[in-house]
Amino acid sequence: MKPTRILTLLGAVVIGAIFQPVQAQDKELTLYTQRHYAFDEEVHAKFLEETGIKINVVKAAADELIVRLQEEGENTPADIFMTTDGGTLHRAHQAGLLQPMTSKAALEKVQPPLREKDSHWVAMTRRARVIVHSKDRVESSELSTYEALADEKWRGRVVVRSSTNSYNQALLTTIIDADGREKALEWATGVRQNMARPPQGSDRDQVRAIAAGLADVAIVNTYYIGILETAEEQKDRDAAAAVKIFFPNQDGRGAHVNISGLGVVKASKKADLANQFIDFLLSEEVQALYSENTFEYPVVDGVPLSERQQRWGEFKADDVNFSVLGDLNAEALKVFNEAGWE
Amino acid sequence: MDGASSATAESELLQQASASTPERTFRLKRPDRWGAFAFLLAALICLPIAAVLLQVGQQSESWDHLVKTVLAGYLKNTLILVAGVTLIACLMAVPSAWLVTCFDFPGRKFLNWGLVLPLAIPTYVAAFVFYEGPQAAIPFLVWVRTNWGIDAFLSFELVIRYGILIVMMAAVLYPYIYLACRSAFAQQGRAVVEAARCLGDSPRQVFFRVALPMARPGMVAGVALVIMEVINDYGAVHFFGVPTLTEGVFRTWFGMGDKVAALRLASIVMVTVGFLLAAEQLLRGRARFVEAEASQIPLSRVRLSGWRGWCAMLVCLLPLLIGFIYPVGQLSRWAWLNLTSEAGGSFVAGQAIARGTGLAAVTAMVMPLMAALFAYAVRLRENRSRRFLNRVAGLGYATPGAVIAVGVLVVFGTMDRWEIGWMPLVSGTLFAIGFAYIVRFFAIPLQFARAGMDRLGRPLEEASRLLGHSPMATFLKIDLPLLKGPLIAAGMLLFVDILKELPLTLILRPANFETLATTAFSLAKESRLQACAVPSLMIVVAGAIGLLVMNRWLASPTSND
Repeated sequence: MKPTRILTLLGAVVIGAIFQPVQAQDKELTLYTQRHYAFDEEVHAKFLEETGIKINVVKAAADELIVRLQEEGENTPADIFMTTDGGTLHRAHQAGLLQPMTSKAALEKVQPPLREKDSHWVAMTRRARVIVHSKDRVESSELSTYEALADEKWRGRVVVRSSTNSYNQALLTTIIDADGREKALEWATGVRQNMARPPQGSDRDQVRAIAAGLADVAIVNTYYIGILETAEEQKDRDAAAAVKIFFPNQDGRGAHVNISGLGVVKASKKADLANQFIDFLLSEEVQALYSENTFEYPVVDGVPLSERQQRWGEFKADDVNFSVLGDLNAEALKVFNEAGWE
Repeated sequence: MDGASSATAESELLQQASASTPERTFRLKRPDRWGAFAFLLAALICLPIAAVLLQVGQQSESWDHLVKTVLAGYLKNTLILVAGVTLIACLMAVPSAWLVTCFDFPGRKFLNWGLVLPLAIPTYVAAFVFYEGPQAAIPFLVWVRTNWGIDAFLSFELVIRYGILIVMMAAVLYPYIYLACRSAFAQQGRAVVEAARCLGDSPRQVFFRVALPMARPGMVAGVALVIMEVINDYGAVHFFGVPTLTEGVFRTWFGMGDKVAALRLASIVMVTVGFLLAAEQLLRGRARFVEAEASQIPLSRVRLSGWRGWCAMLVCLLPLLIGFIYPVGQLSRWAWLNLTSEAGGSFVAGQAIARGTGLAAVTAMVMPLMAALFAYAVRLRENRSRRFLNRVAGLGYATPGAVIAVGVLVVFGTMDRWEIGWMPLVSGTLFAIGFAYIVRFFAIPLQFARAGMDRLGRPLEEASRLLGHSPMATFLKIDLPLLKGPLIAAGMLLFVDILKELPLTLILRPANFETLATTAFSLAKESRLQACAVPSLMIVVAGAIGLLVMNRWLASPTSND
């Protein structure tokens, strides 16, 4: 065959393969999600097995997904919007992108503030953002609150990731909410000045930095400790073993807890299936699976914590309203900018 | 700003059209299909960019805040990176290009093409390989802190991190300069270099007094491309915690939700890059003039023996070592560890990646043909308006990927809202993302097609037209077959560039769609470096193959091997 003919044939095959009818089948849901955990795929596979409903996934940053939902409007292929930040869910709801859910599990098992008061979104897991410290160089008694990390005493000993990260933004909104903008700016400026290095890397990298002796304390989400404790590489398991979790603000408002959650997209024509998926995610079995595998905390009462989480300890959580996280998010970024926290 | 210029373009076009109407006859001219085609295509490509940029003038809540707080930092970081990377990249590229063209030493033949290979490594892949550097420096930093105090520690940390980032970016980007210099040294200078040699200049004098000044236009062209890559980089700077303007665009847009302020930042990027592109084109234009007189006879190389030969080899090997051999070695090690480990080889979403790669392949096949048609349309009547269209069609290359992505969302979202019966919905489909790739990368095949046509010259085409063939027939029978080489080279480069593309794909991808780049990026974000090495290595291998094909085409007409 002539090369051109081979090329044509090849092209035809490839085009055919790509544009193979991706018809919206009845038994399919399209999920716009910010979550990027391998375990989520196992959950989807389990859901497919039990109900015959296939989950198609689009992964991107939450705010990018919101922009996309807005531009796609009525014609969006999305049925469900899922994030790792309650504030983003609130903003999606403010933008009129979500419809009230009818899921029985959501309405009965999860109460506000973990569910929006008119049920436009619901939490699926909870995630605590806490202080971790070196076992060797810091005593737990030296620590108290997030606010205290701005103290002169920690100069050159703190590591936290960049302020572009939504977990940091959420934490700062709660500090603005609790202490006021001025105090929050002082706090961010103080912590930035105490950093052992400019913000960089992921939460894991902060733990590794403590293990390597670069810094003594860090602000990270608890489940990253679980991930490191079960990592493939010995180095990572050692890093996890070198630090200890400290739940701050226990005498006050409690440790900052954010949620991963989801809502049904307003333009979705398959709300029934979507609610079925929500029921599934909130079932005791799946909730326990999340606690075991992604090390996030369950949202349904009565689901036991995994052994690992019990070892980390019980704690008091800040039960801030998630609308605060959404409303103050832009303000938080401005405060970070003013504080010079990159 | 764009609205105004496209309006003038239109009026210019109208003027041209009326001016070109023959004055002697009264017969109406047949509608110029080629012109219409070129205009339509250029307009289509501009549409998403214009849709977004038209909003720059709107009210912005946080612009003043940005100017007061972070803008200076963004500019400073961008400038430091640009200056540092340019300097180091020149130091890596120019001497090695000179050695490889003018001297003979052990390993020269391999290095001649091997030095191009680092281009196959995307900066974000290099970034997570080299991020081991700052990590490895931690014990040293701790020592500094205990002995010299906290301030010394903080400044050392800064220098090490910026230093590694700059050297790393230079090491994967220098081939742009290397390619430009190599062809400049090989083509332009022969007569002059030999004259200088005859007049008794030492090799060093020849280099500084003759070769370097003559290579300047090519060098600047290469530098312009390097700077563009640095300014537009998204992954590497994020990884190293060095926020530049491009990072600022993402942060302001998606974090603060201020589209207008983000677009103003983006337009600073675009104006800079547009200016650089214009400079590049200007200088390349002048370089071509000299090239025309270049001799085809290869320069006779001076043989370097003994330690001089080994030194020369070392000078050339060093950039290759940093920019290719080390990262590929490290990636291979990680990939091996991952594939042999328990959970190894479980590739996240094989089918999704197949779809992504398939789309890249189709786009890379279609685009060169479109570009060839477009270039031919421009060439048929090379007047001011067509040259303008030509420039406009390449605009996407200077535009940050996120801007194009959102532009495409806006345009297709609007189209879908009209709900024209016969038209299927396009938002969130493969068509949307394919179109975005075309907008972003059209400049590449266009460059190749234009360069290829310039090299062909006009005689064959004129003969064909004189013998009574239509422009279309001439294009299909003469130009297209003769352009096969450059078009295939362009297709290979495009394929690689699309596989590497990150910001645009992240925003626009449809359901169950992954490219190698997005897979690698999300794994790297989870710090799963070993798993991430597998798709990264695949990008690098595909890239290396593409580069070698392109390099063969670049080298063929003046091959001196």
